[in-house]
Amino acid sequence: MKTGTEKEVLHIEDLSYAYEKDVPVLKHISMDAKHGESIGLIGANGVGKSTFLKLLVGLNLGYTGTLSVAHHPMNKENLNHIREHIGYVFQDSDNQLFMTTVEEDVAFGPRNYGLSEEEVEERVQEALRLTHIEELRDKHIYKLSGGEKKLASIATILALEPDIVLMDEPSVALDPRNRRHLINLLNEMEPMKLIASHDLDFILDTCERTILMWQGTIVADGPTKEILCDKKLLESHGLELPLRYYYENV
Amino acid sequence: MSGIEKQLREIDKLNTLQQRDQWMNRRHPLVKLCLTVVYIIFVVSCHKYQLSTMVMLAVYPFMMFNFADLSLKDAIYRMRLILPIVMAVGIFNPFMDREVVMELGNITLTGGVISMITLMLKGLYAVLSAYLLIATTTIEDICFALRRLHMPKILVTVILLIDRYIYILGQEAERIMTAYQLRAPSQKGIHYKAWGPLVGQWLIRSMERAQVVYESMTLRGYRGEFSYGKKRKLTAPDFLLLTVWLVAFVVIRKGF
Amino acid sequence: MHMADALLSPAVAGTMYVASAGVAAYSIKKIREEDDNKKVPVMGVMGAFVFATQMLNFTIPGTGSSGHLCGGMLLSALLGPYAGFLTMIGVLLIQGLFFADGGLLALGANIWNMAFYGCFIGSMLIWRPMMKKGAGKAKIIAASVLGCVLTLQLGAFSVTLETLASGITELPFGIFVATMQPIHLAIGAVEGLITAAVLVFIYEARPEFLWGVGSSDTKEGKLSTKATITILAVVAAVFAGVVSLFASAFPDGLEWSMENVAGTAELEATGGIYDVMNSIQSATSFLPDYAFKNSEAVAGTSVSGLVGGIIVVALMVGISYLVRLGAKKTKSE
Repeated sequence: MKTGTEKEVLHIEDLSYAYEKDVPVLKHISMDAKHGESIGLIGANGVGKSTFLKLLVGLNLGYTGTLSVAHHPMNKENLNHIREHIGYVFQDSDNQLFMTTVEEDVAFGPRNYGLSEEEVEERVQEALRLTHIEELRDKHIYKLSGGEKKLASIATILALEPDIVLMDEPSVALDPRNRRHLINLLNEMEPMKLIASHDLDFILDTCERTILMWQGTIVADGPTKEILCDKKLLESHGLELPLRYYYENV
Repeated sequence: MSGIEKQLREIDKLNTLQQRDQWMNRRHPLVKLCLTVVYIIFVVSCHKYQLSTMVMLAVYPFMMFNFADLSLKDAIYRMRLILPIVMAVGIFNPFMDREVVMELGNITLTGGVISMITLMLKGLYAVLSAYLLIATTTIEDICFALRRLHMPKILVTVILLIDRYIYILGQEAERIMTAYQLRAPSQKGIHYKAWGPLVGQWLIRSMERAQVVYESMTLRGYRGEFSYGKKRKLTAPDFLLLTVWLVAFVVIRKGF
Repeated sequence: MHMADALLSPAVAGTMYVASAGVAAYSIKKIREEDDNKKVPVMGVMGAFVFATQMLNFTIPGTGSSGHLCGGMLLSALLGPYAGFLTMIGVLLIQGLFFADGGLLALGANIWNMAFYGCFIGSMLIWRPMMKKGAGKAKIIAASVLGCVLTLQLGAFSVTLETLASGITELPFGIFVATMQPIHLAIGAVEGLITAAVLVFIYEARPEFLWGVGSSDTKEGKLSTKATITILAVVAAVFAGVVSLFASAFPDGLEWSMENVAGTAELEATGGIYDVMNSIQSATSFLPDYAFKNSEAVAGTSVSGLVGGIIVVALMVGISYLVRLGAKKTKSE
């Protein structure tokens, strides 16, 4: 695994995808992302954000165009290799965490990739340290609070030491303190992040770059602060200003 | 409190008991599982007239409940599910078997009465000893023991997944029932017209959940095999526990 | 309909374990052949789903009572017999452990009575043949009700056989069967209707979730349906016969297995303990006619044995209670 601050970890060119023939969900998408970047993915319901994320981890194959993740073109042969470099944090943590205890769940990925028990142990410790949940290690997952579950599911991904982390609505159902905690954690995290969310204030706090999607295409790609201030752009694509700007404008 | 909530609390309570750091909880799951099964075999294999052996066999659950600091009341409450069928089977014995086999002072006990009592005791002991096991051993530890006994991986994995999702789906059941009753206040259960849509939609949601769980697994390298890290070793107290009781069972069985 | 440990003799329980384990091994082999990784998470989540749906109450029209869902039939209509059967094993195991519904020893019997009939008879004998040429609302209702009634009848009959073979009840066979079957006929009909309602909804909303529907799925089995039916029927009949023969030949499974498997070794090993116990007994016993007796049936009913037993148990439990109190005290100090 090569790392470097200027390393390009995601390369997408003219990517299109359709579940059913002639009903394209994604149309001519192009973007690149570098190591360490944090990108917000915004757009109204049903514009193709989830489909896009699923393509990036190979849950949907059969696209057209170029898609390479960590320098490997996305295809069936590379799938297992690519998945070692990319992590996906699901919206519902209960689906992400399927083992009994936090420890077992965090160790699940490293173990499947054939690491020795010592290495697995190191990975688990490091992932729990990064997410500040060392004390939850032996806890049963069903006993965790919503916020703890979210942190634990991020730990399961960090244990894979990914180059890219994808997140689907990470801030949903978090109380204000857990939300703040998550924002701090994401800002500390090293891998490139792509965060899909309707919580625009959350995007403002965690991403320096934002991509706006509309009907399967990227309509804007630039600094978060510019895009999220642009009332016209947002409103013409089914969104509204983040709350903090909304009240300034009133 | 609704019936579902009660059942969820029961699961929750068991989980809390399993998590306690106590001598009995620390024992090797294989030892506890084997001991429980052997005990139940000793219990159910008692002849229907062997009342004194049955009485002596009480020593295991009752003593161990004290050592494990468990509540007898909670355990006996669990009898409610099997009690009806055990009762139904045993209740006729006194009428069918009227031969006097024992005299206690002025009271004569017929074979039927004694066989009914031993049957009830069998039911009680089996439930108590199973509770002793499950209140001191987590499902994952039991699964670990089952793996050691060569139960296939796929079955163990399914058991663990069921255990993981029971509480979540149980809570869903509770919410569904509450939401239903709030809009149908006079109904005790679900009206037949709602049987299909209510459970059907929930089933579809659960299938979709299974799909996401599958995706989450594959994204973390799952290729059909599950592995668990937690290893446990047999220690001297484990052997002690097993030996002492096995000897005790044989002595009780042969001696009374 | 869960069998309790108390109603089974070890011989019958063991036989049922062996039978259920055989079916489980075959199912696992079949699942492995399918090589579908997705099956495992689906089995886990659907197992929990069946578990959770059994918490729901369904009002039976025209009566004040409520019914529940028929898990085996539902699972096999969704997952097929093999995955359905394995899932039911998980459900029954956890039910037994968490709610004391059934028991550890009775698990083998419960798997057979509910999972085997529900999944294999229900799906191979009824569901698949009826859905072979495509599904329909009426067909699903008929298959569900027929499946639930038939599998519950078989299950109830097995409960009767197993209990009688275990020598637990003094009830004559005829009376027992005459009580069990009609009760389960009603239960089966209601469960069948609930299952039908759910499956019809699934058929209309997401037909792809249903197993064994249409012509594409029927090629997979090498056995023709007719052959399968014959085999299953023969297996069930032979099995019932074998169980009762086996059980009546060895009424006391423990005694039998001790003598045959462990031989005399075990008895020799306990000889020393006997002597020790004997001397303790003679030193402490205040009931004059107290003595160790053979474990013959009637020996167990001697009054002195009973009283002595109660005293020993009370003493031991009392000591353990003091230990518990002591431990609590030291903890709180």
